[in-house]
Amino acid sequence: MTPPDSTRFPTGSASAAQSCGVVTAHALSQRVVTADGTLAILSEVELAVKAGETLAITGASGSGKSTLLGLLAGLDQPSAGELFLLGQRLNDLDEDARARLRAGRIGFVFQSFQLLPALTALENVLLPLELAGRADARDRAIHWLDRVGLAARAGHTPRQLSGGEQQRVAIARAFATDPEIVFADEPTGNLDADTGARIIDLLFELNASAHTTLILVTHDDALAARCQRRLHLVAGRACEAVSA
Amino acid sequence: MTFMRLGLWLLRRERASGEWRVLLLALIIGVGSVSTTGFLGDRIKRAMSEQGASFLGADLLVSSPRPIETWPSHPLRTSSALEFASMVSHGDAFQLATLRAVDAAYPLRGSVRIADRPFEAGTPRPAQPPPGAIYVDQELLALLDVQVDDPVQIGEATFRIAGLVAEEPGQLGGVFGLAPRVFMRADEIERTRVLQPGSRLTYLYQFSGEPGALAAFSAALKTKLDSTQRLIGSREGVETLRGAFANADHYIQLTALISLLLSVAAIAIAAHRHALRHYDQAALLRCFGATTAQLRTLYAIQLLTLGLLGSLLGVAIGALMQQALAGLILPDAVTRLPSLGAAPVGVAVVSGLLALAGASLPALMRLIRVPPLRVLRRDIPPLPVAAWLSVAISGSALLILIAWYAGDVKLVGVFVGALAALVAVLTLLARLALVAGRGVQKISYGPLRFGLAQMLRHRFDSTLQLGAFTLALFLVALLALVRSDLVDSWRQQLPPQAPNYFLVNIAPHQQDAVAAYLSQHRLQASALYPMVRGRLVSKNGQPIAETLPPEKRDSNTLRRELNLTWTAVLPANNTVLAGHWHGERRAAAPVKGTPAGTPLLRSDPSAAPVKGMPKAGNPLSPEADAELTPPAGAPPLRSDPSAEISVESGMAERLDLAVGDTLGFQVGDQTLTARITSIRSVKWDSMQPNFFVIFAPGQLDALPASSIASVYVPPDATGVLPGFVKTFPGITILALDKLIANIEAVFAQIIGAIQLLLGFLLAAGMAVVVATLLASLDARQQEAVLLRTLGAQRAYLAKGLWSEFIALGVLAGLLASVCAEIAMALIADRLFDLPVRLHPWLWLALPIAGALLVGMSGWLTTRHITRVPPMQSIRALG
Repeated sequence: MTPPDSTRFPTGSASAAQSCGVVTAHALSQRVVTADGTLAILSEVELAVKAGETLAITGASGSGKSTLLGLLAGLDQPSAGELFLLGQRLNDLDEDARARLRAGRIGFVFQSFQLLPALTALENVLLPLELAGRADARDRAIHWLDRVGLAARAGHTPRQLSGGEQQRVAIARAFATDPEIVFADEPTGNLDADTGARIIDLLFELNASAHTTLILVTHDDALAARCQRRLHLVAGRACEAVSA
Repeated sequence: MTFMRLGLWLLRRERASGEWRVLLLALIIGVGSVSTTGFLGDRIKRAMSEQGASFLGADLLVSSPRPIETWPSHPLRTSSALEFASMVSHGDAFQLATLRAVDAAYPLRGSVRIADRPFEAGTPRPAQPPPGAIYVDQELLALLDVQVDDPVQIGEATFRIAGLVAEEPGQLGGVFGLAPRVFMRADEIERTRVLQPGSRLTYLYQFSGEPGALAAFSAALKTKLDSTQRLIGSREGVETLRGAFANADHYIQLTALISLLLSVAAIAIAAHRHALRHYDQAALLRCFGATTAQLRTLYAIQLLTLGLLGSLLGVAIGALMQQALAGLILPDAVTRLPSLGAAPVGVAVVSGLLALAGASLPALMRLIRVPPLRVLRRDIPPLPVAAWLSVAISGSALLILIAWYAGDVKLVGVFVGALAALVAVLTLLARLALVAGRGVQKISYGPLRFGLAQMLRHRFDSTLQLGAFTLALFLVALLALVRSDLVDSWRQQLPPQAPNYFLVNIAPHQQDAVAAYLSQHRLQASALYPMVRGRLVSKNGQPIAETLPPEKRDSNTLRRELNLTWTAVLPANNTVLAGHWHGERRAAAPVKGTPAGTPLLRSDPSAAPVKGMPKAGNPLSPEADAELTPPAGAPPLRSDPSAEISVESGMAERLDLAVGDTLGFQVGDQTLTARITSIRSVKWDSMQPNFFVIFAPGQLDALPASSIASVYVPPDATGVLPGFVKTFPGITILALDKLIANIEAVFAQIIGAIQLLLGFLLAAGMAVVVATLLASLDARQQEAVLLRTLGAQRAYLAKGLWSEFIALGVLAGLLASVCAEIAMALIADRLFDLPVRLHPWLWLALPIAGALLVGMSGWLTTRHITRVPPMQSIRALG
């Protein structure tokens, strides 16, 4: 399958950008002011991701991958450029409005798992469901733990789980709310190769069955290769767009 | 609603976390201390107000040092009683008692409960005993070694003990009564022959009736009373007593408040650490779509839940502890106090929530401002909260708390000022101690060097821990010293043959017989001083109150009648500070001190509360309740403008008197004036009769007056006294030893009560130590992991931790010793005129106590960091 080359968004209006997909960025830039002057972390990135697509953002350390992921997920505001998420222009939304947009519609998987240590595996999965006010929260959480093969470990806290198991809980948590998009930041970064491979299989399998858009940041070429599309960043610029 | 539920759910899951525990513990301690005092104060106040008129024994009460013959006409029911002190004896045992001679109508309201056996609640009966009988306080039984139905002697009459006074109007018992109560019939006073011209008497007139009639009567009466006579309505009576209690209560409450404030410090530290450890959680929740408002709800509900839980647990502890406090303050009245009230619960819970809010809101405000991007970049800090906002929140919460407990603006100012000064001094001392610690660290080695290095590295924490612990140890030590040391050293510095008995009410015709009796038994007595009672009314022709600024007009010296004496010889232990001692014929006397006419600025020994202890031991200091009645038919006084008087320096200072001023005195219904020719300092604790005003001979001599003398009775000669009581039944003997022992017991009760509160303070100090240690736990764990990875053994790390905490405890103990010695030196020198001495045991006891308490709490908080394998620690720290 060869998707259209949409990682470089040619020209067009905001409404055109919006209509193209669940995530659309136009001339997206992020700069920070340091003691030595202004530092450009991202420069003029163009991007459009359609519903159900899988996209890998790759690049060397410090190339701006995580910054881009944070901006796309609405966790931060860009210095310049336009950004649409799930049909909403993020530039117009304040922090709380962006949070409301994320609630129940966006899932996250992190390199360091980000499970709450005081909660059990089941409770960690329950957390976003509770936040989204889902009536069937508990049943769904049990269902998703079962989907990642950890139903038997539901009562264990993160300390009692291995790294791979923790990441599986995190994946169950990400998919439990039936999100439209899942963002994953180096999901295998803290895992050994074998465990990493199994986690990737699980991630893609769940993604396929749930028809979710998956945007992930990775160093791992093998992982990037499994995505439909790939955006490679060099010093904050999207210098090439490679079809997987 | 979801977020409230979520907040509670997360709280339940995290209930075992260290910060919550410390926060809860600190809150329980703080609220426990304020509710302990709150509950008891409330019970005492309600005991007063619920009893209303029955507390006073009447709707209206008039007390007067003289009989009042004419009253405005009224339709009220009346009763009268006469109160005076006299000896009660049985065989060789004798005791000073407060007698109340009552008529059949007493009391008009409420009841007197009389019991047949000790420790019984008794039944309400008329206070007037049957003829030939008396009712007595049960403590008199033990003092005289008698039983109910035994005969006792009062003056020249014998009475049968017909019952025990279990309860009477106006009495909560316990601390305040020094001489046991005896009820007798008014018509039997005559038989005792104890009343002499010059006896100390209080006439009590009770009235009850319709409110309208009472109001009209009291309005008509008010204009006729002088300043030594008091009209007390049942409401005013309760208010007066409540006011007196409230004063003492304020200071006890403030002690409790210090514990609460120390708890606030522990809560603030715990809340700060809680916020730090929950930045990731907050960021994650934001990432999952939680808005600021939702996070605020979530954390606010957690805080409120903890606040309510901690406050209610604190209230429960307070409810238990107040009973212990009541036992210390009012041992006799505990069973008579009303049950626990609901009002202090509200006060304590609101205090707890206010303390918690002030201490933790700034930290939680930061928590809800965590940017969601932190989930990707953990180094991103939360948005800062404006410093002024944090200070405003915490500062106003603390100020509200202090103002609430202190009651008046002046006390708030004093308290805040003292608190700020204390914090500054303690910080400075702690910093100095740490500098000293650095010196020790340089010459130490091994785990000790490592432990001291840790202490110095966490300088802020160490300063805080040192400050909190020093404060707690210092206050505990100071009270212990005041309780034991001052009384001891005051006793020790008395000359071995200081008078130990006062003989009061010696009638003029008895003087020679008394002198003969004493010399026959080889007892040394002081000079006999005649006493006449008079009221100071004017200065230089102006009413005295008008010459004073408003804040000085409330002086006791103006409200009471003074004991006036005359002598040509300057009494021993008196020193003329200004002017000339009048002598026999205005002979010049050596003068030292300030020039004539200058108001004296010397500190007033009688004005200081602690100084009052030995002074109160001298029941004949002129402000003690001595009451003398000018006998009927006294010759008119000569108002001689050249009459001379000598005034005590403290009184001169309080009333702005100087040499050359002319004072007017009201003695009975006559007025006389006299010029101040000297101002004296008086050594109040000399055990000699002491007087504020001494006239030159020739002014008061015409008045028949009773006399007073002090006498030294050696321990092996006390057998003389029963004979003296039998020979001179009308003369009152005051045993100073017994009075001092009584005062010591009262002191011990009050200090015991405060020490109970200091237990809270010590616990709050430990909470601060634990909170600061918990706050540094992550950093310590990282260090421990690194050191263990590099090859340090567990024992080495454990010794290092012990060294650090023991060093902290020892330093706190030493600082507390320094503070306690300085405070004691100031108290001994300034208030008691006692020689300053050091307490070597203190320098040993406090550091050991500090090392134990800080060492234990430190070790218990941090011990697990040496036990966890490095790998596990690394994983746990992420």
